[in-house]
Amino acid sequence: MSDQLTYPDVVSLAVPFFIVAILVELAWIVIKGRGGRYETRDALTSLIMGAGNVASGIVLGFVAWGVFMALWRITPLDLGTAWWVVVLCFVLDDLRYYWVHRFGHRIRWVWASHVNHHSSQHYNLTTALRQTWTGTFTFMMIVRAPLILLGFHPAMVLFVGGLNLIYQFWIHTEAIGRMPRWFEAVMNTPSHHRVHHGRNARYLDCNYAGVFIVWDRLFGTFVPEQAREKVDYGLVHNLGTFNPLRVAFHEWIGLFRDIAQHGLSWRERLLYAVAPPGWSHDGSRQTSDQIKAAHLERHPEDRGGPGF
Amino acid sequence: MPLEILLIFVVAGISGIALLLHLLGLSRGAVFADEDAARAAWLREFPYETPGRITLSSDRRAALVCTDRGTGMAWCLGADTVARPLAGADLRATEAGLRILFHDPALAPLTIALSAPDRAAWQNKVRFA
Repeated sequence: MSDQLTYPDVVSLAVPFFIVAILVELAWIVIKGRGGRYETRDALTSLIMGAGNVASGIVLGFVAWGVFMALWRITPLDLGTAWWVVVLCFVLDDLRYYWVHRFGHRIRWVWASHVNHHSSQHYNLTTALRQTWTGTFTFMMIVRAPLILLGFHPAMVLFVGGLNLIYQFWIHTEAIGRMPRWFEAVMNTPSHHRVHHGRNARYLDCNYAGVFIVWDRLFGTFVPEQAREKVDYGLVHNLGTFNPLRVAFHEWIGLFRDIAQHGLSWRERLLYAVAPPGWSHDGSRQTSDQIKAAHLERHPEDRGGPGF
Repeated sequence: MPLEILLIFVVAGISGIALLLHLLGLSRGAVFADEDAARAAWLREFPYETPGRITLSSDRRAALVCTDRGTGMAWCLGADTVARPLAGADLRATEAGLRILFHDPALAPLTIALSAPDRAAWQNKVRFA
Protein backbone atom coordinates (compact mmCIF):
# COMPACT_ATOMS: atom_id res chain seq x y z
CA MET A 1 0.00 0.00 0.00
CA SER A 2 1.55 3.34 -1.09
CA ASP A 3 2.52 5.90 1.56
CA GLN A 4 4.33 8.28 -0.77
CA LEU A 5 1.49 9.74 -2.87
CA THR A 6 1.73 13.54 -3.18
CA TYR A 7 -0.53 16.24 -4.62
CA PRO A 8 0.12 19.97 -4.97
CA ASP A 9 -0.77 22.24 -2.04
CA VAL A 10 -3.55 23.90 -4.00
CA VAL A 11 -4.54 26.38 -1.30
CA SER A 12 -1.05 27.90 -1.17
CA LEU A 13 -0.92 27.97 -4.97
CA ALA A 14 -4.24 29.81 -5.00
CA VAL A 15 -2.99 32.70 -2.81
CA PRO A 16 -2.03 34.93 -5.80
CA PHE A 17 -5.46 34.23 -7.31
CA PHE A 18 -7.14 35.20 -4.02
CA ILE A 19 -5.27 38.54 -4.00
CA VAL A 20 -6.12 39.34 -7.63
CA ALA A 21 -9.79 38.36 -7.17
CA ILE A 22 -10.09 40.62 -4.09
CA LEU A 23 -8.64 43.53 -6.09
CA VAL A 24 -11.08 42.85 -8.95
CA GLU A 25 -14.06 42.72 -6.57
CA LEU A 26 -12.93 45.91 -4.83
CA ALA A 27 -12.50 47.69 -8.18
CA TRP A 28 -16.00 46.56 -9.21
CA ILE A 29 -17.54 47.87 -5.99
CA VAL A 30 -15.71 51.20 -6.16
CA ILE A 31 -16.40 51.77 -9.86
CA LYS A 32 -20.00 50.54 -9.92
CA GLY A 33 -20.94 51.79 -6.45
CA ARG A 34 -22.72 48.51 -5.67
CA GLY A 35 -22.06 44.83 -5.13
CA GLY A 36 -20.80 44.88 -1.56
CA ARG A 37 -18.87 46.84 1.04
CA TYR A 38 -15.27 46.95 2.24
CA GLU A 39 -13.87 48.45 5.43
CA THR A 40 -10.13 48.56 6.08
CA ARG A 41 -9.91 47.05 9.56
CA ASP A 42 -12.54 44.42 8.85
CA ALA A 43 -10.72 43.29 5.70
CA LEU A 44 -7.34 43.42 7.43
CA THR A 45 -8.66 41.21 10.25
CA SER A 46 -10.09 38.73 7.74
CA LEU A 47 -6.79 38.57 5.83
CA ILE A 48 -4.77 38.09 9.02
CA MET A 49 -7.14 35.30 10.07
CA GLY A 50 -6.53 33.68 6.68
CA ALA A 51 -2.77 33.92 7.07
CA GLY A 52 -3.05 32.52 10.60
CA ASN A 53 -5.10 29.62 9.30
CA VAL A 54 -2.32 28.71 6.87
CA ALA A 55 0.26 29.09 9.66
CA SER A 56 -1.75 26.89 12.05
CA GLY A 57 -1.96 24.29 9.29
CA ILE A 58 1.82 24.32 8.97
CA VAL A 59 2.33 24.09 12.74
CA LEU A 60 -0.48 21.65 13.65
CA GLY A 61 -1.05 19.84 10.37
CA PHE A 62 1.03 16.91 11.58
CA VAL A 63 -1.71 15.96 14.06
CA ALA A 64 -4.36 15.30 11.40
CA TRP A 65 -1.77 13.82 9.05
CA GLY A 66 -0.59 11.44 11.76
CA VAL A 67 -4.17 10.27 12.42
CA PHE A 68 -4.86 9.83 8.70
CA MET A 69 -1.68 7.86 8.05
CA ALA A 70 -2.41 5.61 11.03
CA LEU A 71 -5.84 4.86 9.54
CA TRP A 72 -4.30 4.35 6.09
CA ARG A 73 -1.94 1.73 7.48
CA ILE A 74 -4.75 -0.29 9.06
CA THR A 75 -7.21 -0.24 6.17
CA PRO A 76 -7.01 -3.18 3.76
CA LEU A 77 -8.57 -1.05 0.98
CA ASP A 78 -6.74 1.02 -1.63
CA LEU A 79 -8.82 2.59 -4.42
CA GLY A 80 -5.73 3.82 -6.27
CA THR A 81 -5.30 7.18 -7.96
CA ALA A 82 -7.43 6.97 -11.14
CA TRP A 83 -9.17 10.23 -12.12
CA TRP A 84 -12.58 8.85 -11.29
CA VAL A 85 -11.39 7.96 -7.80
CA VAL A 86 -10.32 11.59 -7.31
CA VAL A 87 -13.74 12.79 -8.55
CA LEU A 88 -15.54 10.34 -6.26
CA CYS A 89 -13.33 11.42 -3.37
CA PHE A 90 -14.18 15.08 -4.09
CA VAL A 91 -17.92 14.39 -3.99
CA LEU A 92 -17.77 12.27 -0.84
CA ASP A 93 -15.46 14.76 0.84
CA ASP A 94 -18.03 17.47 0.08
CA LEU A 95 -20.61 15.35 1.93
CA ARG A 96 -18.07 15.14 4.77
CA TYR A 97 -17.74 18.94 4.63
CA TYR A 98 -21.52 19.36 4.86
CA TRP A 99 -21.68 17.40 8.12
CA VAL A 100 -18.59 18.96 9.67
CA HIS A 101 -20.03 22.38 8.83
CA ARG A 102 -23.41 21.43 10.26
CA PHE A 103 -21.72 20.21 13.46
CA GLY A 104 -19.84 23.50 13.42
CA HIS A 105 -23.11 25.37 13.84
CA ARG A 106 -24.90 22.94 16.15
CA ILE A 107 -22.18 21.88 18.61
CA ARG A 108 -20.63 24.70 20.60
CA TRP A 109 -17.23 22.97 20.85
CA VAL A 110 -16.98 23.06 17.07
CA TRP A 111 -18.67 26.48 16.82
CA ALA A 112 -15.92 27.87 19.06
CA SER A 113 -13.59 27.29 16.14
CA HIS A 114 -15.96 28.14 13.28
CA VAL A 115 -17.53 31.28 14.79
CA ASN A 116 -14.68 33.48 13.58
CA HIS A 117 -15.66 32.81 9.96
CA HIS A 118 -19.05 34.41 10.69
CA SER A 119 -17.73 37.26 12.78
CA SER A 120 -17.51 39.87 10.04
CA GLN A 121 -20.48 42.14 9.41
CA HIS A 122 -19.27 42.42 5.84
CA TYR A 123 -19.59 39.87 3.08
CA ASN A 124 -16.87 40.10 0.50
CA LEU A 125 -14.01 37.97 -0.76
CA THR A 126 -11.87 38.76 2.29
CA THR A 127 -14.61 37.20 4.46
CA ALA A 128 -13.90 33.89 2.71
CA LEU A 129 -10.37 34.02 4.11
CA ARG A 130 -11.51 34.71 7.70
CA GLN A 131 -10.74 31.14 8.70
CA THR A 132 -10.16 29.38 12.00
CA TRP A 133 -6.84 28.98 13.78
CA THR A 134 -8.15 26.29 16.10
CA GLY A 135 -9.74 23.70 13.80
CA THR A 136 -7.38 20.96 15.02
CA PHE A 137 -8.84 21.21 18.53
CA THR A 138 -12.36 20.43 17.35
CA PHE A 139 -11.21 16.90 16.44
CA MET A 140 -13.45 17.09 13.36
CA MET A 141 -10.62 15.46 11.41
CA ILE A 142 -12.18 12.21 12.56
CA VAL A 143 -15.10 12.76 10.15
CA ARG A 144 -12.59 12.15 7.34
CA ALA A 145 -11.80 8.70 8.78
CA PRO A 146 -14.45 6.82 6.73
CA LEU A 147 -12.97 8.14 3.47
CA ILE A 148 -9.52 6.87 4.36
CA LEU A 149 -10.81 3.55 5.66
CA LEU A 150 -12.70 3.16 2.36
CA GLY A 151 -9.38 3.33 0.51
CA PHE A 152 -8.94 6.99 -0.47
CA HIS A 153 -5.32 7.97 0.18
CA PRO A 154 -4.91 10.70 2.87
CA ALA A 155 -3.00 12.91 0.40
CA MET A 156 -5.94 12.68 -2.01
CA VAL A 157 -8.43 13.47 0.76
CA LEU A 158 -6.47 16.60 1.73
CA PHE A 159 -6.06 17.55 -1.95
CA VAL A 160 -9.81 17.48 -2.64
CA GLY A 161 -10.42 19.28 0.67
CA GLY A 162 -8.18 22.07 -0.62
CA LEU A 163 -10.12 22.22 -3.89
CA ASN A 164 -13.33 22.42 -1.86
CA LEU A 165 -11.97 25.39 0.09
CA ILE A 166 -10.90 27.15 -3.11
CA TYR A 167 -14.35 26.63 -4.63
CA GLN A 168 -15.92 28.30 -1.62
CA PHE A 169 -13.80 31.43 -2.05
CA TRP A 170 -15.73 32.96 -4.93
CA ILE A 171 -19.17 32.49 -3.32
CA HIS A 172 -18.34 35.06 -0.62
CA THR A 173 -19.48 38.04 -2.63
CA GLU A 174 -22.43 40.36 -3.10
CA ALA A 175 -21.15 41.35 -6.53
CA ILE A 176 -22.79 38.30 -8.11
CA GLY A 177 -26.56 38.08 -7.91
CA ARG A 178 -27.89 34.75 -9.12
CA MET A 179 -26.29 32.13 -11.33
CA PRO A 180 -28.29 30.25 -14.03
CA ARG A 181 -31.15 28.24 -12.57
CA TRP A 182 -29.58 24.82 -13.22
CA PHE A 183 -26.40 25.95 -11.47
CA GLU A 184 -28.31 27.30 -8.46
CA ALA A 185 -30.11 23.95 -8.24
CA VAL A 186 -26.97 21.84 -7.92
CA MET A 187 -24.08 24.03 -6.82
CA ASN A 188 -23.43 26.26 -3.85
CA THR A 189 -23.55 29.85 -5.08
CA PRO A 190 -23.08 33.39 -3.75
CA SER A 191 -26.85 33.62 -3.24
CA HIS A 192 -27.07 30.40 -1.21
CA HIS A 193 -24.02 31.23 0.86
CA ARG A 194 -25.11 34.81 1.58
CA VAL A 195 -28.07 33.23 3.33
CA HIS A 196 -25.73 31.02 5.35
CA HIS A 197 -23.91 34.13 6.64
CA GLY A 198 -27.15 35.84 7.69
CA ARG A 199 -27.97 36.68 11.31
CA ASN A 200 -31.67 37.14 10.50
CA ALA A 201 -33.81 34.62 12.40
CA ARG A 202 -34.96 33.18 9.08
CA TYR A 203 -31.44 32.54 7.86
CA LEU A 204 -29.88 31.00 10.99
CA ASP A 205 -28.45 27.47 10.66
CA CYS A 206 -29.04 26.64 7.02
CA ASN A 207 -27.17 26.15 3.72
CA TYR A 208 -24.20 24.26 5.15
CA ALA A 209 -23.00 23.07 1.74
CA GLY A 210 -19.45 23.48 0.54
CA VAL A 211 -19.65 22.81 -3.20
CA PHE A 212 -22.93 20.98 -3.87
CA ILE A 213 -26.08 22.60 -2.46
CA VAL A 214 -27.86 19.27 -3.08
CA TRP A 215 -26.77 18.13 0.42
CA ASP A 216 -28.90 20.87 2.01
CA ARG A 217 -31.82 20.04 -0.24
CA LEU A 218 -31.40 16.36 0.66
CA PHE A 219 -31.11 16.84 4.43
CA GLY A 220 -33.75 19.58 4.74
CA THR A 221 -31.51 22.53 5.62
CA PHE A 222 -31.86 24.54 2.41
CA VAL A 223 -33.24 28.10 2.59
CA PRO A 224 -33.32 30.23 -0.57
CA GLU A 225 -32.37 33.91 -0.48
CA GLN A 226 -35.53 36.00 -0.15
CA ALA A 227 -35.90 39.13 -2.25
CA ARG A 228 -38.04 40.67 0.50
CA GLU A 229 -35.59 40.02 3.33
CA LYS A 230 -32.06 41.35 2.84
CA VAL A 231 -29.36 39.34 4.55
CA ASP A 232 -27.92 41.01 7.66
CA TYR A 233 -24.38 39.62 7.96
CA GLY A 234 -22.55 38.70 11.15
CA LEU A 235 -23.33 37.09 14.47
CA VAL A 236 -26.51 37.24 16.53
CA HIS A 237 -24.44 39.36 18.94
CA ASN A 238 -21.64 40.89 16.92
CA LEU A 239 -18.03 41.10 18.02
CA GLY A 240 -16.85 44.41 19.42
CA THR A 241 -13.30 44.03 18.19
CA PHE A 242 -11.04 43.73 15.18
CA ASN A 243 -8.29 42.12 17.27
CA PRO A 244 -7.46 38.79 15.54
CA LEU A 245 -6.58 37.16 18.88
CA ARG A 246 -10.03 37.98 20.28
CA VAL A 247 -11.64 36.87 17.01
CA ALA A 248 -9.79 33.54 17.13
CA PHE A 249 -10.22 32.69 20.80
CA HIS A 250 -13.21 34.59 22.25
CA GLU A 251 -15.67 31.70 22.03
CA TRP A 252 -13.19 29.19 23.47
CA ILE A 253 -12.64 31.51 26.45
CA GLY A 254 -16.41 31.96 26.86
CA LEU A 255 -16.95 28.22 26.64
CA PHE A 256 -14.38 27.36 29.30
CA ARG A 257 -15.65 30.17 31.55
CA ASP A 258 -19.14 28.72 31.26
CA ILE A 259 -17.94 25.20 32.04
CA ALA A 260 -16.02 26.45 35.08
CA GLN A 261 -18.97 28.28 36.66
CA HIS A 262 -19.69 27.39 40.29
CA GLY A 263 -22.68 25.26 41.19
CA LEU A 264 -23.22 23.44 37.89
CA SER A 265 -23.88 19.72 37.56
CA TRP A 266 -21.51 17.67 35.39
CA ARG A 267 -24.29 17.32 32.84
CA GLU A 268 -24.65 21.10 32.62
CA ARG A 269 -20.89 21.51 32.22
CA LEU A 270 -20.93 18.98 29.40
CA LEU A 271 -23.88 20.69 27.71
CA TYR A 272 -22.01 24.00 27.68
CA ALA A 273 -19.52 22.22 25.40
CA VAL A 274 -21.74 20.06 23.22
CA ALA A 275 -25.18 21.71 23.15
CA PRO A 276 -25.99 24.18 20.36
CA PRO A 277 -24.47 27.68 20.71
CA GLY A 278 -26.69 29.85 22.88
CA TRP A 279 -27.65 27.05 25.26
CA SER A 280 -27.40 28.02 28.93
CA HIS A 281 -28.26 26.20 32.15
CA ASP A 282 -30.49 29.05 33.35
CA GLY A 283 -32.15 29.90 30.04
CA SER A 284 -30.57 33.35 30.01
CA ARG A 285 -29.42 32.99 26.39
CA GLN A 286 -31.06 31.83 23.20
CA THR A 287 -30.21 29.08 20.75
CA SER A 288 -31.04 29.59 17.08
CA ASP A 289 -34.16 27.44 17.53
CA GLN A 290 -35.33 29.71 20.36
CA ILE A 291 -34.55 32.82 18.30
CA LYS A 292 -36.69 31.46 15.47
CA ALA A 293 -39.50 30.58 17.91
CA ALA A 294 -39.38 34.08 19.43
CA HIS A 295 -39.55 35.57 15.94
CA LEU A 296 -42.59 33.46 15.06
CA GLU A 297 -44.37 34.53 18.25
CA ARG A 298 -44.20 38.11 17.02
CA HIS A 299 -44.50 37.34 13.32
CA PRO A 300 -46.88 34.38 13.02
CA GLU A 301 -47.35 35.22 9.35
CA ASP A 302 -43.83 33.86 8.71
CA ARG A 303 -44.70 30.40 10.07
CA GLY A 304 -44.13 27.69 7.46
CA GLY A 305 -42.15 30.03 5.23
CA PRO A 306 -38.52 29.49 4.18
CA GLY A 307 -36.28 29.12 7.23
CA PHE A 308 -39.16 28.63 9.70
CA MET B 1 5.05 26.81 -3.43
CA PRO B 2 8.22 27.44 -1.39
CA LEU B 3 7.43 28.82 2.06
CA GLU B 4 9.46 32.01 1.55
CA ILE B 5 7.57 32.85 -1.68
CA LEU B 6 4.25 32.16 0.05
CA LEU B 7 5.29 34.45 2.89
CA ILE B 8 6.13 37.26 0.44
CA PHE B 9 2.73 36.88 -1.27
CA VAL B 10 0.88 36.88 2.05
CA VAL B 11 2.70 39.87 3.58
CA ALA B 12 2.64 41.92 0.36
CA GLY B 13 -0.97 40.97 -0.35
CA ILE B 14 -2.26 41.88 3.11
CA SER B 15 -0.26 45.12 3.32
CA GLY B 16 -1.14 46.17 -0.21
CA ILE B 17 -4.87 45.54 0.15
CA ALA B 18 -5.01 47.30 3.54
CA LEU B 19 -3.13 50.33 2.14
CA LEU B 20 -5.35 50.47 -0.93
CA LEU B 21 -8.53 50.34 1.20
CA HIS B 22 -7.21 53.13 3.40
CA LEU B 23 -6.29 55.30 0.41
CA LEU B 24 -9.78 54.73 -1.01
CA GLY B 25 -11.22 56.28 2.15
CA LEU B 26 -12.64 53.03 3.45
CA SER B 27 -11.16 53.44 6.94
CA ARG B 28 -13.64 56.12 7.94
CA GLY B 29 -15.59 55.03 10.98
CA ALA B 30 -19.36 55.21 11.14
CA VAL B 31 -21.17 57.65 13.41
CA PHE B 32 -24.77 57.72 14.56
CA ALA B 33 -26.58 60.38 12.54
CA ASP B 34 -29.08 60.82 15.38
CA GLU B 35 -30.79 59.03 18.28
CA ASP B 36 -32.90 57.00 15.86
CA ALA B 37 -29.77 55.54 14.27
CA ALA B 38 -28.53 54.47 17.72
CA ARG B 39 -31.98 53.06 18.51
CA ALA B 40 -31.86 51.01 15.28
CA ALA B 41 -28.39 49.72 16.19
CA TRP B 42 -29.72 48.54 19.56
CA LEU B 43 -32.79 46.90 18.08
CA ARG B 44 -30.63 45.13 15.51
CA GLU B 45 -29.10 43.07 18.34
CA PHE B 46 -31.92 43.15 20.89
CA PRO B 47 -35.12 43.32 18.84
CA TYR B 48 -37.40 42.68 21.81
CA GLU B 49 -35.86 45.17 24.26
CA THR B 50 -37.47 48.45 23.30
CA PRO B 51 -35.17 51.43 23.90
CA GLY B 52 -36.46 54.45 25.76
CA ARG B 53 -34.09 57.35 26.32
CA ILE B 54 -31.00 57.48 24.08
CA THR B 55 -27.96 59.61 24.95
CA LEU B 56 -25.33 60.12 22.25
CA SER B 57 -21.64 60.65 23.04
CA SER B 58 -19.90 63.87 21.94
CA ASP B 59 -18.42 62.21 18.86
CA ARG B 60 -21.68 60.34 18.06
CA ARG B 61 -19.83 57.03 17.94
CA ALA B 62 -21.57 55.62 21.02
CA ALA B 63 -24.93 55.88 22.70
CA LEU B 64 -26.30 55.00 26.09
CA VAL B 65 -29.56 53.13 25.67
CA CYS B 66 -32.12 52.87 28.47
CA THR B 67 -34.56 49.97 28.23
CA ASP B 68 -37.07 48.51 30.65
CA ARG B 69 -34.54 45.72 31.34
CA GLY B 70 -31.68 48.09 32.18
CA THR B 71 -29.10 50.25 30.52
CA GLY B 72 -27.06 49.24 27.51
CA MET B 73 -24.67 50.63 25.01
CA ALA B 74 -24.69 50.81 21.22
CA TRP B 75 -21.50 51.86 19.51
CA CYS B 76 -19.88 52.06 16.10
CA LEU B 77 -17.21 49.56 15.13
CA GLY B 78 -15.61 50.37 11.82
CA ALA B 79 -18.44 50.87 9.36
CA ASP B 80 -20.90 48.91 11.51
CA THR B 81 -22.41 48.79 14.98
CA VAL B 82 -22.41 46.65 18.12
CA ALA B 83 -24.74 46.72 21.14
CA ARG B 84 -24.62 45.15 24.61
CA PRO B 85 -26.25 45.54 28.03
CA LEU B 86 -23.99 47.22 30.57
CA ALA B 87 -24.79 44.91 33.47
CA GLY B 88 -21.51 43.65 34.94
CA ALA B 89 -19.33 46.11 33.01
CA ASP B 90 -16.74 48.31 34.74
CA LEU B 91 -15.97 51.85 33.77
CA ARG B 92 -13.03 54.17 34.25
CA ALA B 93 -12.89 57.92 33.74
CA THR B 94 -10.21 59.08 31.31
CA GLU B 95 -9.14 62.54 30.15
CA ALA B 96 -11.21 62.22 26.99
CA GLY B 97 -14.24 60.50 28.45
CA LEU B 98 -14.90 56.98 29.70
CA ARG B 99 -13.39 53.57 29.19
CA ILE B 100 -15.73 50.60 29.57
CA LEU B 101 -14.55 47.07 30.30
CA PHE B 102 -17.17 44.47 29.47
CA HIS B 103 -15.39 41.37 30.83
CA ASP B 104 -16.45 39.65 27.63
CA PRO B 105 -13.68 38.22 25.42
CA ALA B 106 -15.73 39.15 22.35
CA LEU B 107 -15.60 42.84 23.22
CA ALA B 108 -12.49 45.01 23.35
CA PRO B 109 -12.44 47.76 25.99
CA LEU B 110 -14.52 50.65 24.70
CA THR B 111 -13.36 54.27 24.87
CA ILE B 112 -16.11 56.89 24.66
CA ALA B 113 -15.46 60.55 23.95
CA LEU B 114 -17.37 62.72 26.43
CA SER B 115 -17.19 66.25 27.74
CA ALA B 116 -16.50 66.61 31.48
CA PRO B 117 -20.13 67.25 32.48
CA ASP B 118 -21.37 64.42 30.26
CA ARG B 119 -18.77 62.09 31.76
CA ALA B 120 -20.20 62.49 35.25
CA ALA B 121 -23.76 61.98 33.97
CA TRP B 122 -22.79 58.83 32.03
CA GLN B 123 -20.84 57.45 34.98
CA ASN B 124 -23.90 57.84 37.10
CA LYS B 125 -26.16 56.09 34.60
CA VAL B 126 -23.72 53.28 33.95
CA ARG B 127 -23.09 52.74 37.65
CA PHE B 128 -26.77 52.02 38.16
CA ALA B 129 -27.13 49.90 35.03
